[in-house]
Amino acid sequence: MSKAHERLSQVQSHLASSEADIPLGRESILSKSPNDIVITCALRTPFTKGGKGGLKDTPAADLLVHALKSLLARSKLDPSLVEDIAVGSVLPPGGGATEFRAAALVAGFPESTAVKSLNRQCSSGLQACADIANAIRSGMIDIGIGSGVESMSSQYGPGAVTEFSDLLESDPEAKNCKVPMGVLSEQMAKDRSISRKDQDSFAASSYQKALKAQKEGKFDEEIAPLHNVKFVDMKTDEEKVITVDKDDGIRDGITAESLGRIKPAFAKDGSIHAGNASQITDGAAAVLLMKRSTAERLGQNVVGKFVSSSIVGVKPLLMGIGPWKAIPVALEKAGISKDEVDVFEINEAFASQCLWCVRELRLDEKKVNPNGGAIALGHPLGCTGARQVATLFNELGRTGKRIGVTSMCVGTGMGMAAVFVKE
Amino acid sequence: MLEYRTQGFNGYAVKYSPFLDSRIAVASSQHFGLVGNGRLYVLGLTPKGIIAEKWFDTQDSLFDLAWSETHENQVLVAAGDGSVKLFDIGIDEFPVQSWKEHMREVFAVHWNLVSKDTFCSSSWDGTIRVWNPTRPTSLLTLPIHSCTYSASFSPHSPSLLSSVSSDSHFRLFDLRTPASASNHLALTIPIHSAQAPTQISATQPSGPAGQFPPNEALTHDWNKYRSSIVATAGVDRLIRTFDIRAPGQGPLVILPGHDYAVRRVSWSPHLSDTLLSASYDMTCRIWTDGSAKAEPPHAGSEGFGGEQGRELGRMCRHTEFVCGVDWCLFGSEGWVASTGWDERLCVWDVREFMGP
Repeated sequence: MSKAHERLSQVQSHLASSEADIPLGRESILSKSPNDIVITCALRTPFTKGGKGGLKDTPAADLLVHALKSLLARSKLDPSLVEDIAVGSVLPPGGGATEFRAAALVAGFPESTAVKSLNRQCSSGLQACADIANAIRSGMIDIGIGSGVESMSSQYGPGAVTEFSDLLESDPEAKNCKVPMGVLSEQMAKDRSISRKDQDSFAASSYQKALKAQKEGKFDEEIAPLHNVKFVDMKTDEEKVITVDKDDGIRDGITAESLGRIKPAFAKDGSIHAGNASQITDGAAAVLLMKRSTAERLGQNVVGKFVSSSIVGVKPLLMGIGPWKAIPVALEKAGISKDEVDVFEINEAFASQCLWCVRELRLDEKKVNPNGGAIALGHPLGCTGARQVATLFNELGRTGKRIGVTSMCVGTGMGMAAVFVKE
Repeated sequence: MLEYRTQGFNGYAVKYSPFLDSRIAVASSQHFGLVGNGRLYVLGLTPKGIIAEKWFDTQDSLFDLAWSETHENQVLVAAGDGSVKLFDIGIDEFPVQSWKEHMREVFAVHWNLVSKDTFCSSSWDGTIRVWNPTRPTSLLTLPIHSCTYSASFSPHSPSLLSSVSSDSHFRLFDLRTPASASNHLALTIPIHSAQAPTQISATQPSGPAGQFPPNEALTHDWNKYRSSIVATAGVDRLIRTFDIRAPGQGPLVILPGHDYAVRRVSWSPHLSDTLLSASYDMTCRIWTDGSAKAEPPHAGSEGFGGEQGRELGRMCRHTEFVCGVDWCLFGSEGWVASTGWDERLCVWDVREFMGP
């Protein structure tokens, strides 16, 4: 834009917002400003089953290399312009800081691109995006990448949590932080009377939606396929080289009835089982963020913008209610109501907690996870938050809708949410 | 009402000389400040009307000006090419000094009224710079990270400096504090925050916390009598006053009335409760913030700011956006000057336009 054009649009902006009444709610977040934090590319690897899927022999850092490389290829951005990469990851020892920095170098970023790893459990991927957005907003950096990665095949297990000290053990609420997710969710389902039947039908619908979406090719746009992946066949021990271009956790023929036959996993009289909880999965996702003015200067294609985010705490034993508390806070910061949101991507850690949050917030179930969620696709812990951003924009774009919210519960009792606008 | 036509140039700012009651300067630009040259007029009020004593042409548009507080013949201008220039009326054509550090259009210049040895400028590049007229480079850069339309030294303290910007925030800098990570930033007030006494804590981050969404703030001014009171205004058409001693309280007074964005506000140098504003709605309006207790609020004030502040009168003679207003410091207390996109400077007495 020439200087005269910029000055003219500045005067126009002074008048535009005066002419009509000052927009409230939806209209106000749909407007465009040069200072908006925008997303110009968001993608993910296929999600494959932990321990047996196509990516089981690919280390987390390699998955990250692939996601970052694909992001550069799709956005055609000069890698030297990226100032920071935040990587959400939950399980790697040392947070993954060393291997993720190395991964960025392999992916083609110069040494001037900084890398950090971060861990806010299941919301790490979203936290990475929010951290980058906030760093851009504050002027610390101009361009950054929020990403998430998890190889649950190689790193899931008891080693991820340090033994609690006597001091921590002595505090009853602190001690609750290490109660396993399945156990506490089972208790919560019981306390909040979320029936096995409702959980199973919610889970079955996740599978059915995901299957339909996969068959219709709806995930193709957000997925960056991997070629030449090393894979050891479990039956023959033979090492093969394969291509992974599809999520493999999505199963055909799942119904509420078929799920109803599975034995509960955490208590004899329980309601939670492998079929109505999120899957153990490998995957990576990455989101490219910058100011709108920067995107326009570089000719980047704006996919949408980051509007607001929220982080809240809840009781450790009720970590599943996190989205219920976090979503209204993010909406309030954005100045909109839940009815103005077109699509919600809420992580399905367990059918029980996700369903409870949707009901308690009185969300329109049709707007929630329209292409299925973690029950069908899987939940690579640190990656999920960034994956949801890619899935959300993909869905909003395809349906011509505008406002989306992502949210998830966070182990140890937290919730996170963020509001995005598709453009 | 007296008039001068700034033919071919659209007015952006006007200031009375602090030394001579008959001298006014106007900063103006060709083609509405979008492209073309700028012109600084130095005008004399004479018995024969307003005459141009001098003018200076610049390569790019001019958006603001400030008279030197130390030298009666010197005027600063804020230029569209990012430069700040100092002109001397005794020297033809060229500026006596030009500082080019801002990366984008400079929208405000303001001379330190107390120490008189520094001035500040603010720019679209999201910074404020503090200068000494005898030095070739700036003394200090204060980052705002958002287009800063207005910056001003406090008329009460040589080290207090404030700004409003397109991110809807008022910022106060105290240059006595160490230049730590906060860059002298002493206080930030979200202008759109709700009015007291709703519970908004001072620590609450910005965001649409109150009933108003954020909007670009275009202008602000320090009250000349009450050292902690500032007025702000901008795109949402509302004029607000704040007490910087109680930043968490929200605005003291909200003055609605303008139909379009407010481009400039200026407190009276004579009356502590009186404000003048200029707006894209082509009017200048005179307001009281209701703080002068001697004068009880009129009944039936049509809800202008509730019981407190209200509009006292308006001047509708401009035929285009009004961008600049200033009060005459001398003589009787109502004389003001205004300028705008209709290529005119108007000199008038606010008392002519106030209701009975």
